[in-house]
Amino acid sequence: MAVKGVISKAKSVIMGIPSLMKAFFHNSLAGYIMEAKSLKDLLIYTKYWALTWAVIIKLILKLLFKKGPIVLVRELIHYPWMFTLLRATGLMRRLSRGRRGAYLESTCLIISSIAGTVVRIMENIFYHPERLIIGQDVVTSEIPIAMGLNCWQLEDFGILLPFLDPEAALQYIDAAENEGINPDACSFVKMPVGMIIKGHMPKGIAIISSNMTCDADCTMYSFVQREYDLPIYRLDVPYHFYNDRAEKLFAGDLMGMIEFLEKNTPGRMDWDRLREVCQARNRMMELELELWELMRAKPAPLAAEAVYLSHLWFFYVFPGDKVSVRLFEKLVDLARKNLASGIPAYEHEKYRAVLWQPPFPHYVDIFNLLERTYGITLIIDSMTYNRHEPIDTSTPDSMLKGLAQVMMQGPMVRHTRGPAENYLDDIFRIYKQFDLDMVWIGNHVSCKGSQAMNGILQEKCREMKIPLFILDYDLIDPRIVSHDGMINQVDRFMENVMKAKRLDQ
Amino acid sequence: MFYGGCDVGSTTGKAVILDENGSIIASSLVPSEIDPELTSILALEKACAQIEDLGSYKDLAYLVGTGYGRNEVPFANENISEISCHAMGTFFCSPDIKTIVDIGGQDVKAISLNGDGSVLEFAMNDKCAAGTGRFFEAMSRIFRMDLEAFSELSLKAGKIIPVTAQCSVFAESEVISLLARKNPPEEIAAGIQTAVSKRCFTLLKRIGMRPQVTVTGGCAKNRGLIKALSKIINMDVTSLPVDPQIIGALGAAIFARRKGNSLHASPVHLHTGRS
Repeated sequence: MAVKGVISKAKSVIMGIPSLMKAFFHNSLAGYIMEAKSLKDLLIYTKYWALTWAVIIKLILKLLFKKGPIVLVRELIHYPWMFTLLRATGLMRRLSRGRRGAYLESTCLIISSIAGTVVRIMENIFYHPERLIIGQDVVTSEIPIAMGLNCWQLEDFGILLPFLDPEAALQYIDAAENEGINPDACSFVKMPVGMIIKGHMPKGIAIISSNMTCDADCTMYSFVQREYDLPIYRLDVPYHFYNDRAEKLFAGDLMGMIEFLEKNTPGRMDWDRLREVCQARNRMMELELELWELMRAKPAPLAAEAVYLSHLWFFYVFPGDKVSVRLFEKLVDLARKNLASGIPAYEHEKYRAVLWQPPFPHYVDIFNLLERTYGITLIIDSMTYNRHEPIDTSTPDSMLKGLAQVMMQGPMVRHTRGPAENYLDDIFRIYKQFDLDMVWIGNHVSCKGSQAMNGILQEKCREMKIPLFILDYDLIDPRIVSHDGMINQVDRFMENVMKAKRLDQ
Repeated sequence: MFYGGCDVGSTTGKAVILDENGSIIASSLVPSEIDPELTSILALEKACAQIEDLGSYKDLAYLVGTGYGRNEVPFANENISEISCHAMGTFFCSPDIKTIVDIGGQDVKAISLNGDGSVLEFAMNDKCAAGTGRFFEAMSRIFRMDLEAFSELSLKAGKIIPVTAQCSVFAESEVISLLARKNPPEEIAAGIQTAVSKRCFTLLKRIGMRPQVTVTGGCAKNRGLIKALSKIINMDVTSLPVDPQIIGALGAAIFARRKGNSLHASPVHLHTGRS
C-alpha cells in the first residue's frame, strides 16, 4: 500500500512536469528571450534580471559566510517567506509582458530596486536586531532613520508577499482566523497577526504605531504589543488636522515619540541626519511632482508600477534614501525620454484611469493585462497622491511640523479622517488634473470604512457624469473574489458602461 | 431576412426572432441544460419551428448570444452582455423606462439606462441566491405550491410577518419555523416578498433609481413581488408589453438586426407570434 502511494505520488509529480516546465519557461528569462521584440528590450530585461539575482545571491552568500550554514538554514526555517522572495524575477517577468523600451525599463528598474531594498531590510533583521523597531506603515520612517534605527513595517510583507505569490498570505490569514480573529476582519490585519502566531515575524525592540488608519489596524498593534511584550508608542493623529493647532499638537507628539525611542532603544536623534533625510525626501517629492506633470500628457509616457509602486515602497519604506532619490531621477529621465520621442507607455492607450485604494496585491498583473486587453493605462493611484508642502528643514521644530503634515495629510489618513470632502476632493482633482476617463475603486470587501464612502461617491460621480467602477475584491485574500471574478467585473464594466471593444479580439 | 437573439440563462434559455421590420415573429422558452450550447440550440429550434420560411437557426441573417452562458454559444455571430441586452430590450418596449431590475434564476441586476437605451450604470448580486428565482423556488417548495400560486399568495395578506434572515438557507429555516407555529401563510409569503424587494431596493439605490422602473426576468411574473417592490420604492413598477422573461433575448435580437443591416432599428412591433 505504501509502495502504491509512493508510485502514485511519483506519477503525479512526473505528469506535472510538463506544465511546471511550461510555467517556468513562461515566467523565466528564457521565456523572455523568445518573446522579446527587440535586442534592446532583451538587454534591458536581462540587465535588471541579473541585478536582481545578484542582490539575492549576495544576501545568501553573505549570510552563509558571515553566520554560517547552520544559521542560514535556521533563518530559512524561521522565516520561510524568504523563499517567496526568490520569485522577484518572476514578478518582473509578469509585469513586463508586452511592455517595451523606457516603459519596460521603468518596470524592471522598480522591481530590481525593491529587491535591493528588501535585501537591506533582511540584513537589518539578521545583523542588527538590536536596532530593529517595529513601525506602522503610515508612521513614516524618517525619524527612526535619523536616530540610527532600522524600521520593520509589519504591513510591508502583507503587500509584498502576495505580489510575488498570490497565495503567500493564505496560511497566515488562516492561522489568524483559527486563533479566533473575525473572518470578516480585514485581511491586511490578519496577515501580520498570522505571521506572529506562526512565529515568522521578526521581533524588534520597540513598537511605534498610531491611531491611523482604522480600528482594525490599532487593534493589531495591541495584539503585537501583547504578544511581544515590547514598549509601544502610539501617535494620536488629530481628527481636524488642517490647522496650526493640530500641527503643533502632532509635532509635539512626534517629539514624544523621539523621547520614547531614546529611552527604549539605542537610537539617538541626530538632527543633522534628519535634515539630510528630509531634504532628500523633498527632492523625491520634487521629482515625483515632475513625473506627475509628465504623466498628464496623453498618451502617458509611463504608467502603472512606475507611478504607484515607486511611491508605495520608496516613500513609505525608504524615504530620503539615496536609492529612492536615484530611482525617481531615473523614472523622470525615462518619462522625459518617452515624451520627447513621442513614445507612449502603451501604444494603444485608450482609457486613463485612477485607482482609488491600495493596488491589488494578489493580482498585481491586472493592470498589465488590462493594458493589453482594453488599452487602460493606470495613471495615478490614491496612495501616491500627496498634497503636502515640502518639509521646512531650517530647524528641528519646522522639520517635526513638516513631518507632522506629511503623516496627517497622507493618503488613507487624510481619507479616513475629517469630512467626506477629504476623500472626494482628491478624486475629482485627480480626475481633472490627469485628464482621466474613469475612476476605479478597489473595493476591499473587508474595509467597512471605505465601503461607507462608496454610496456618496456613486452619487457624486453620477452628478458629474464620471464613469465609476467599483471592483469588489479582497486586499490580500484571493479566495474571496477570484482573479477570474475580478476580470469578469472589469469585462462587464468595460463592455456595458464604457462600450469598449477588447483589443485582443 | 430574420434576426435572432438567444439568452442562455442559468435556469432557462430564451430565443426571440425578429423580421426585417423589427416585428417579433417568434419566441421560445426552454429549461436550461448543463451544456449552454445545447440550451441555445433547443431554444432557437423551438422558435424557428414557429416560422414557416425559416428552416433552422443557421438560416438567421444574424444571431446574437447573451446571458449567463453567452460565451458558450459558439455559433452566434456575436455575444453581447446580458446587461446591455436587457437594457436594449426594455428600451425598445418602453423608452420611458430608465431603471430595470432583472431578477433571474441565480442573480439580480439593477440597470440604469441612458436616453438611447444604452447602459449608464449597473449593479449585480451574483454571489448570493437570496432574492433570486432559486430562492422563490425553494420557498414555494416549502409552501407546497407551484411558483404561480405562491406568487399570488401574498396578495391576500392583511399584514406582513417579517422574514429577517439575509441568507436563503437561513430564510428557509426561518420560514419553516414560522409555518410550524401556525402563522398565516399569506403573511409569511408577504414577508418573503418584502425581504426580496428590500434587496432589490438596495441595488436600485446603488445605481441611482429613476422613474420609470420595471422588472424583467422570470420573477417579474410574481405579482406579490411586484406589489411589495412598488411599496418599497414608493412608485409604480411599469409592466412591459411583452413577456418580461424574454427581454434579454429580445434585446439580443434587436442588436442582431442592427448589426445585420446596420440600420437604426425601427420601433419593434410587439407580438405576431409567441410560444
